[in-house]
Amino acid sequence: MNAATPLPPKPVADRDTQPFWDAVAERRLVVQRCSKCGRWIWQPRPLCPTCHAADPVWTDVSGDARVVSWTVLHPPVLTVWHDKLPFVILLVELDDAPGVRMIGQLVDAAGDLLQTDGTAQGIDFGAGVSLRWRVDEAGQTLPAWTVS
Amino acid sequence: MTIRNKNRQPVVAGVHGLPYSKDIGMTERHSGALAILGALDDAGLTVNDVEGLTRYVWQPTTEMEMARVTGIPNLKWFGAQDYGGGAGPPTVALACAAIELGLIDVAVVWRSRNRSSGGRPWAGQMLAEGQDQFERPFGIVRPADGIALIVRLWMKQFGWTREDFGQVAITVRGHANRNPMAMMRAKTLDMEQYLASRMIAEPLCLFDNCLETDGALAIVLVAAERARDLNAKHPPAYVTGYALGSGPEVYAMTNYYGERLGDSPNAYVAPELWKNTGLKPEDIDVVQIYDAFTPQVPLFFQEFGFCGEGEGAQYLKSDECIPYNTSGGGLSEAYVHGFNLIVEGARQVRGDSPSQVEDVKHTVVTGGNVVPTGALVLSKEPW
Repeated sequence: MNAATPLPPKPVADRDTQPFWDAVAERRLVVQRCSKCGRWIWQPRPLCPTCHAADPVWTDVSGDARVVSWTVLHPPVLTVWHDKLPFVILLVELDDAPGVRMIGQLVDAAGDLLQTDGTAQGIDFGAGVSLRWRVDEAGQTLPAWTVS
Repeated sequence: MTIRNKNRQPVVAGVHGLPYSKDIGMTERHSGALAILGALDDAGLTVNDVEGLTRYVWQPTTEMEMARVTGIPNLKWFGAQDYGGGAGPPTVALACAAIELGLIDVAVVWRSRNRSSGGRPWAGQMLAEGQDQFERPFGIVRPADGIALIVRLWMKQFGWTREDFGQVAITVRGHANRNPMAMMRAKTLDMEQYLASRMIAEPLCLFDNCLETDGALAIVLVAAERARDLNAKHPPAYVTGYALGSGPEVYAMTNYYGERLGDSPNAYVAPELWKNTGLKPEDIDVVQIYDAFTPQVPLFFQEFGFCGEGEGAQYLKSDECIPYNTSGGGLSEAYVHGFNLIVEGARQVRGDSPSQVEDVKHTVVTGGNVVPTGALVLSKEPW
């Protein structure tokens, strides 16, 4: 990493994941669902791993979720995040897509990264969270969650 | 049941490790070659005897490069095993399987890594591809970040505490204090220091994380019928068996998308290892557990059936707990992707460990249990 222009890791989409990032750019959260057996699929893949039906359908979800687990980051981290510590990374399970768990940062209601260990926000197992959109230091839009 | 031919049983005939350091002052090509040559010397063999070389996918020098550097004239068997620190026992297994099949008689497995002076592999990460695109941009960059989320779940599920993890860190530090090779040979650790240490990725603190080390180690594997004629410097350690496992919906380091949240791939390795070896936990005298992070230790004991599910931390405190990570492990001897655990396993069987356990018949060595992985059993006696 160039210390003069620190940037966060950049997501690199491929043919199987591009629709997810295209939706994110429109501030929509989508998850694949098998049109044949109804299975929710995460992370994205080209076939349903249960019934092997092709082209799982990208389906809009609300992003309402529950906290499954979390960590709080401390140094040493990438330079770009040094002055933002501590912050919380959540593992959430989506209400609309049972069994689908995603990673996201804890943000405020406006979608800005919170400098916190999560205590003030009441982060705990099962805490309800809502989807927000965070624009990172490289201008990349990312799904993120705020306490409901 | 696996097929067993006494003549073809793989034997660890030689081991070697270079002194560990923060800056070893040579390339991984150089240190790896010295480790390979040292292990061959320990076994009473030369490069002309070597027919197979296997490595970790993360090893920056290929089998061909090491053959060129050391002058191995021809390789009949080679290959690499993936998934970071999960690759140790699987890389040994890849060589053992070829020996058991009769394809080769002599193989060398090595790991050389400048994990300290070479910098952190994640420090320069800019592009997040594959599974990483859904994790790294969100802050899951260091190995500790990925596992911290799972550790918090284990703590909730099993009632584990930070003091339980501290007990692991302190126990292996005690072993390191008896090991003249260990990076932490001169530094003691107590619970007060452990609890006061800085956080890295909550709930993991500094002493829950392994070291960052430059190191190079190798072992020589020989078919039993060939091993009988060797002029080796130490008694042999017999490979009684091994197993690999992934489990369903597996991800490296971030294994939290599947149905069985909290399981590690070792939950799938363990029953195969007991089946393949015909052994059970009560037969094992000492273990070398992959310990990039302290919570992997109590998880090992419960996933391999040394105690019941959720009882790993209680087991560690009980009188039944067998010695583990007797060289200091990744936490306090050196972090060389678990290869020092393989060498220490062989030493316990041979009788030249710095913390020698009396009358060792069998020892288990494992690979990293938050990635696809494997385990093996080394024994005093043949099949």
